[in-house]
Amino acid sequence: MAPHESSFVTDIEPATEHVAGVGIDGLAPYRRVVTFYPHQPESRVMTAQTVQQGDLVTVIGLEVHVQLETDTKIFCGCSTEQTDEPNEHVCPVCLGLPGALPVLNEGAVEAAVKIGKAIDAEIPEETRFHRKNYYYPDLPKNFQITQYDEPICADGELEVAVEGTRRTITIERAHLEEDPGSLQHVGGGIDTADYTLVNYNRAGTPLMEIVTAPDFRSPSEVRAFLAELEEVLEYLGVFDAERDGSLRIDANLSIIPEDEIESGDIDDIGSSALETANRTEVKNISSHKGAQKALAYEETRQKNAIERGRAVEQETRHWDESRGITVSMRSKEEEKDYRYFEEADLPPLRVADWKDEISIPELPSARRERFQAEYGLDEESASKLTSTKQVADFYETVAAEFDPDLAATWVADNLLGELNYRDMEITDLEGRLNEVTRLVELVATDEITAKNARETVLRSMLDDERTPEEIVDAEGLGKTGEDEVQQAVVEAIDENPDAVSDYESGDDGAINFLVGQVMQKTGGSADPGDVNQLLRAELEA
Amino acid sequence: MSDDAVSPEEVRHVAELARVDLADDEVDQFARQFADILDYFETLDEVPEVDREADLANVMRPDEVRDTLEREEALQNATKTEDGYFKGPNVS
Repeated sequence: MAPHESSFVTDIEPATEHVAGVGIDGLAPYRRVVTFYPHQPESRVMTAQTVQQGDLVTVIGLEVHVQLETDTKIFCGCSTEQTDEPNEHVCPVCLGLPGALPVLNEGAVEAAVKIGKAIDAEIPEETRFHRKNYYYPDLPKNFQITQYDEPICADGELEVAVEGTRRTITIERAHLEEDPGSLQHVGGGIDTADYTLVNYNRAGTPLMEIVTAPDFRSPSEVRAFLAELEEVLEYLGVFDAERDGSLRIDANLSIIPEDEIESGDIDDIGSSALETANRTEVKNISSHKGAQKALAYEETRQKNAIERGRAVEQETRHWDESRGITVSMRSKEEEKDYRYFEEADLPPLRVADWKDEISIPELPSARRERFQAEYGLDEESASKLTSTKQVADFYETVAAEFDPDLAATWVADNLLGELNYRDMEITDLEGRLNEVTRLVELVATDEITAKNARETVLRSMLDDERTPEEIVDAEGLGKTGEDEVQQAVVEAIDENPDAVSDYESGDDGAINFLVGQVMQKTGGSADPGDVNQLLRAELEA
Repeated sequence: MSDDAVSPEEVRHVAELARVDLADDEVDQFARQFADILDYFETLDEVPEVDREADLANVMRPDEVRDTLEREEALQNATKTEDGYFKGPNVS
């Protein structure tokens, strides 16, 4: 618990502006390198005239920060476990005390290589770390150890399905870095706070920053990508989506008039059109839904401005989740101000061969395709069943024992449906999944009806944490014996001569009435299909 | 290198990045000192460029938790603390 009710936690980093420029001569020993989206340093006003000539195309690129699931921090042996106690997991390295030296966590590098494999990226022969200098109390060293011109992963891609079509998003790079600490601005907002409280538990948590090409054309594509990315990371076992603050997103958005796209294809926008467009960077996004909302807001804001003939400022904006708007942020640093230079305390990394040594599990997209081919599932079921590794693993367990269609209905529709309704995840059933398998078995072997299994047993299993057998016994749901059903069939026919004569004169609806009578007599535990057959057999006899 | 290699604006910008307030006379003083420092760096230009020759590579440790500092130890150099936090002025 935060000790001050009026305080709030912020994760805002000083704004980055990738404006090409030269440092003070001689004071800049770094190489002038990566400008992710090169553009002109001066604002350019889009005139109303250019707009009238055609439609506007939205172009979005992402920088996604994900916390890697390791036991310890990236450069020291402090635990990454979350705790409410401030400054509990700290040591001289992550506090930036003089003389302390970083030592790289092998686990973080393994996780990065796994991500590289999953996004089909190149792991260069040699990669290294840089210092990114900025003065803010969330960084006790006054620099962040990150990667600059030699990231551990380069030139990857991820395929996503958006509204039925497949799109390949280029991932330009993914690099390792350390998370800063967290600040609480006490007694007001960032600008008006009385003072600041600093907690370095998070400082040094391994982060992977994943940078995409400006390949997105709508906020919904961004959301689909983030969902897919998160799925992949969870499959790899390197990421915990449940962890607070484990996913943070910065997005670049610009609006380009369609007639400036030389190729005429909005998926192939030339670099000159991208360069001349004014781009805003939206920071402080922390979820898929937040990304879609923030970017939809920003898209509308920019389009409105252009349609009214106003200029779109090249600036950094802050997504205010509670108000649902983006607000302009003063940007202090430009890229050159970070004075990137090589981290001499960390020797270079040569891990290209780890790509062959480290194996990764089958990824969601491959598994989706296999589920369709191997179990004859439709795309929607296959997609639901691969939504998390746990769901997919469980489906395969059930499908190995029972009919794959029955397994799909039970896992994808019944189980996930009821879990979703209760805001639960399959992981909440850890240790009880064999009970669900047992329930499917009860249905598969006709011991209880599918309806009772679904509506009574499964729900009670989730709500009351009882086993299927307990519920079946307590509720008397065991399927009625065949003799009993047969007896009820005979009774129903004897008691309803009118319906029988209607049936005999060709009124097919009469059989349904008789089925209803039998179901009533057996307390709903008979199988309606069986009853129908038994009735017809008896009536035709 | 001449004295006007560094402008007062550049000094103010660097000070702002470092979150340091400078009085006007200090700006002049630092402009001169920056120019001196740049001169020293010019000397380095005479050193021939060589490629990095790292003796070491892949220095890593296993992902195992090690002892941390007690919180009291971690905070003992701080001028101000509150409820286990480091306490500092408002920053924006």
